[in-house]
Amino acid sequence: MKLKFTWRIWILIFFIILSILAIGPHFSSKGVIIKSIQPNSTAFNEGLKTGQIITQVNDAEIKNVEDYAKAIEEKFPSKDKIKTVINTKDGQVILFDNQPPQITISNIPRTRINVGLDLQGGARALIKAKNKSLTSSELDDLIAVTNNRMNVYGISDVQVRPASDLEGNNYMLIEVAGATPKDLEELISKQGKFDARIGNETIFIGGQRDITSVCRNDATCARIEQCTPQQGGFFCNFAFSIYLSEESAQRHADITKNIPVENTGQGRYLTQKLDLYLDDQLVDSLLISESLKGRATTQIQIQGSGKGATRDEAIKNAEESMKKLQTVLITGSLPYQLEIIKLDTISPKLGDSFIFSILLAGIASILLISVFIFIRYRKIKESLAVILTSFSEILIILGIASFIKWNLDLPSIAGILATIGTGVDQQIVILDESIQKNELSLKQKMKRALFILVATYFTAVVSLLPLMVAGAGLLKGFAVTSIIGITVGILITRPAFADMIKKIEE
Amino acid sequence: MENQEINKKTNFSPLYDKYHRILLVIPIILLIASLLYLGLFYSKHSDILIKDISLTGGSSITVYEKIDHNKLQQDLSSQLEDVETTQIYDIVTREQKGVIIATKTPVDQAKPILEKYLGYKLDESNSSFEFTGASLSSGFYDQLRKAVIVAFLLMSVVVFIVFGESLLLKVYSIILTLFSVNILFSNLGSVHSLIIFLLLPISILSLIFLSSKNKSKYKWPIFFIFLVIYILQFFVSISILLIPLAIALAAIYLFFSVPSLAVILSAFADMAMTLAVIDYLGMKVSSAGIVAFLMLIGYSVDTDIMLTNRVLKRTSGTVNHQIWSAFKTGMSMTLPAMVAVIVSLTITKSLSPVLSQIFTVILIGLFFDILNTWITNTSLLKWYIERTQRNKK
Repeated sequence: MKLKFTWRIWILIFFIILSILAIGPHFSSKGVIIKSIQPNSTAFNEGLKTGQIITQVNDAEIKNVEDYAKAIEEKFPSKDKIKTVINTKDGQVILFDNQPPQITISNIPRTRINVGLDLQGGARALIKAKNKSLTSSELDDLIAVTNNRMNVYGISDVQVRPASDLEGNNYMLIEVAGATPKDLEELISKQGKFDARIGNETIFIGGQRDITSVCRNDATCARIEQCTPQQGGFFCNFAFSIYLSEESAQRHADITKNIPVENTGQGRYLTQKLDLYLDDQLVDSLLISESLKGRATTQIQIQGSGKGATRDEAIKNAEESMKKLQTVLITGSLPYQLEIIKLDTISPKLGDSFIFSILLAGIASILLISVFIFIRYRKIKESLAVILTSFSEILIILGIASFIKWNLDLPSIAGILATIGTGVDQQIVILDESIQKNELSLKQKMKRALFILVATYFTAVVSLLPLMVAGAGLLKGFAVTSIIGITVGILITRPAFADMIKKIEE
Repeated sequence: MENQEINKKTNFSPLYDKYHRILLVIPIILLIASLLYLGLFYSKHSDILIKDISLTGGSSITVYEKIDHNKLQQDLSSQLEDVETTQIYDIVTREQKGVIIATKTPVDQAKPILEKYLGYKLDESNSSFEFTGASLSSGFYDQLRKAVIVAFLLMSVVVFIVFGESLLLKVYSIILTLFSVNILFSNLGSVHSLIIFLLLPISILSLIFLSSKNKSKYKWPIFFIFLVIYILQFFVSISILLIPLAIALAAIYLFFSVPSLAVILSAFADMAMTLAVIDYLGMKVSSAGIVAFLMLIGYSVDTDIMLTNRVLKRTSGTVNHQIWSAFKTGMSMTLPAMVAVIVSLTITKSLSPVLSQIFTVILIGLFFDILNTWITNTSLLKWYIERTQRNKK
């Protein structure tokens, strides 16, 4: 049999090829890909880059995330700086450090399809200002501050974007892929208002106006100082230096000038302390030594503590508290309080079985439908054409989704499954119209079928439109994939299917 | 084969001609019963459905361990507000993979209670948390409800554009629909004033236009309605305008395109009956469930449009013949869709309450769609054609 394709079928083939290219499947790659690197960390300074593929750590071959975790866990935590040799596809990097490389990694994705949090795990938070509606410029500021905080704190692979709803409320939507950072909730919901006061006078506040720089990731000026057992647990103190602007330093001098000095057991200090407040809660009170009285000092040491049941836990908590405080000091505060109105943290655990059952549902549906069509019309070629068209439709939807980098979350997947249903419905209209025994020519029959399809297409699109804007866009995915699906259907796959049927019927 | 079918049909035709109006009684009774049930439901629960935590606010916690979910629900019912548990399991081996705990208690309070009960810490290696604040979810529900109404209005106007006759009335109904959408989604601002501005000149134009046609007997009532809407919008709260707007749209569809009204009515009946069954089954509706109602609009008009198109634009054969052939096509459309939905429901039920609720709503909806397309819509359409034929004579 000689196959002659019409131009519509060629268009379908063209789009299938494009989609396969967009999805870009590959199966052979070994290694893990670097998703992000903490700026100014050892790994960063030695030249590791986002997107590089790690194939070997020391002598261990790295095939996946588990291999990498094993190789790193064997060596860290370590007291001394040790050597780590990392082989990437672009070359070798050698690190000397006492902590693991500050990078996040993931398995090399087999396709360019972006799966959403529901499938790969991660965290999603929707945030609004408490008792206040944000203007869009305020929202932009909020997003900038939050992005900055995430960066400074070292959370990467994060997306912060505005969202709004039909009632005109503005939200900030934060999505972190993969593992959920432990302190995410605190980090994003904190107003981050930091101020240092002596008595009722504010000396300096968080942010770049008053604080010119904050020491961190440098053991000479930011460290855990001492740990002491206390009340059945441990207490660890941390301290780090910050550098004040001239103006704040002068303020410090002016105020301390008039404060009397007293003798305490440990030495001579001012009678008033420097009180540190975070979101209006006292976090620490620092003694001011006599030598600082009336001096415009620009360097100040900030202290705090962390406690835990064991020594290690206390150290870890102290480190985290220090990091949080540093983050707030660097990024400054927001002029309003925030409220988390939605927070999802999704475990990656069931992702694979989820994908498996969705694929199963899709494939089983298509196959059963074509069996049904075969029984109904007793035509094997037509049934095969239905299978072919349905699969290519899904392929093209996935191709477009990869191309526009759409995240396939649960609503999006429901949308794709729904498209299979309407898609087959429409193929049956074509099939049925074409085999009707009446005096219309095949061409007229097809025209009539296409009229029905166009009419149903528009009713479906308009009924999906409201979903694009309702509810902070959380269900938008459904509308997006459905509209892509039915549009692909009406423009590409249905005309090709009509031609296939024409060819078969002739 | 085909001839036999036509013969069979011809034997059946006189009976069908005689009784098709009586057949209408079935869906009418069902629709009235559904609406009454929904009314009763409303008076009892002060809403037409029971909302789940995605719409009331609360937490959904999934723990990926083997836990007796019934026992957990019993043991924690005093500590967690409105707690409900479902099991998730492997579709092939049927082995339990975890339990989903839904409660109105916020996550930060629910988590310690659960940890204490289970005796281990919950983190991302063994559990997922989803929390929706009450302030978000109430707005969410409100918007989704509006989205369904807007989708329905938009679908109606598209159907009227496809099957209606007068171009001006089509423009008219588009403007009225946009006006209603604008009231529902009140932040469209500038469109709003434009529509109000256009309403009066278009009403007058259509009055002139309608007078020149033989349908002029409706011109005064319709013009009157528009005038009332136009004047009212200066004086009353804008949301009250939805009622006269809906009446005006329904009046246009009724007086100027019975086939369109039949399609719209069937879609409405599908949704009302489905919701009544969902309520009767005691299902808690999630945000995804409401999305499923949106999908139902699309699914249900598919067959109605096909039927109406075949019958109105028929080239040969009797009306009954066209109805019969449309019925065969339509069942070949709906039954595979049902097969696909049942398969998807069986598979996703094991893992995702979200997806399984979508498929449940659609399955019930498709079932009622068979009834409403092939009795409600068909009988109304046939009645309309008989009437126009009589009028011609």
